[in-house]
Amino acid sequence: MSELANDIKKASLEASERTGLTVTHVAARRGARASLDDVARAAFGVSLPSSPKAVEARGALIVWTGPDQWLIVQKDETGRDHYAELAKTFNGLASLVDVTDSRTIFRIAASRPSETLLRNMGIDFHENSFQPGDVAITHVSHLGVIVWRLPDGTAYDFACARTYSREFADWLRKASA
Amino acid sequence: MRIHCPHCGERSLDEFSYLGDAVVRPDPASPNAQEAFYTYGYERSNVAGPMQELWYHAAGCHAWLVVTRDTRTHEILEVKSAHEVALARQKVAGTAQ
Ligand SMILES: [Zn+2]
Repeated sequence: MSELANDIKKASLEASERTGLTVTHVAARRGARASLDDVARAAFGVSLPSSPKAVEARGALIVWTGPDQWLIVQKDETGRDHYAELAKTFNGLASLVDVTDSRTIFRIAASRPSETLLRNMGIDFHENSFQPGDVAITHVSHLGVIVWRLPDGTAYDFACARTYSREFADWLRKASA
Repeated sequence: MRIHCPHCGERSLDEFSYLGDAVVRPDPASPNAQEAFYTYGYERSNVAGPMQELWYHAAGCHAWLVVTRDTRTHEILEVKSAHEVALARQKVAGTAQ
C-alpha cells in the first residue's frame, strides 16, 4: 500500500484517490474559442463550459478551470491514448498539457458534504449552493484545489497538486473529523 | 473584505493579490516614453475615494481584475475582467483613429 493510500485509510474517510485516469489541461488559443467549441461539440457532443461547471460527455468529464481553460478527465482504456487524441482534435485551436502526473484527484463519495467539511471550506459548500455539476477553484489551508460535484450528485472530487497530496489528505482528515 | 470575481463569484480577500493602480501602461514606442514611464512609475495619485485597481485572483481562476474600490471605506463598487477592459479600450482606440 502506498503511503498516501495508508494516510487515507488511517483517516477512515470515505475518500479515495482516483487512479487510472488521463487528465489534460486545455487552454483556448487567442481568438480560437468559437472554433474550439465547434470541434468540442463534434467530439464530445457538448460545448465547453464558460462558467464554473463540469459536464459529462462521452465518458469524459470536462471541468471549467478559468476563463477559456478546462481540465478533461478521462478513464484510461486499453489501446487508447486520450492525450494524443485530444491533441489531434484540438490541434491549432488550444494548448494542451498532460497533467495526469502532476495532479492527485481525491473522491469523497457522498451526496452532500459532512458538517465539518462544510465548515472547513472557504466557499459556500452547502449542498443547495454548491450544486451537482458545480466547480470551484479555491484554496484550503493554503493548498490550491479544484473541486467539483459530479453532475449526477453522487460524489465530490478534489484535484490538488500531487506534491501536496499528503498534506491535502491530512487536511481532508482534519476537515472531515 | 470580499470581492465578487466575475468568473468565480464572491470570494474572500485571501484568494486575491493586489497589484495597484489600474492606470494604463504607457506605450514604450511613443516619443515621450521615458517621461511617460517616469510619471507611470513614480507620480501616482493617492486617491481618497473610488479608485480603479488591478487585483489578481491568485487562488482562484488566475484572472486579472479591474476593481473599483473606495479607499476610504473599502467598499467594492465594481469588478470587471481586466481582459474585457483591455479589449474595450482597444476598441475605443480603434474607433478614435
Ligand atoms: Zn476568479
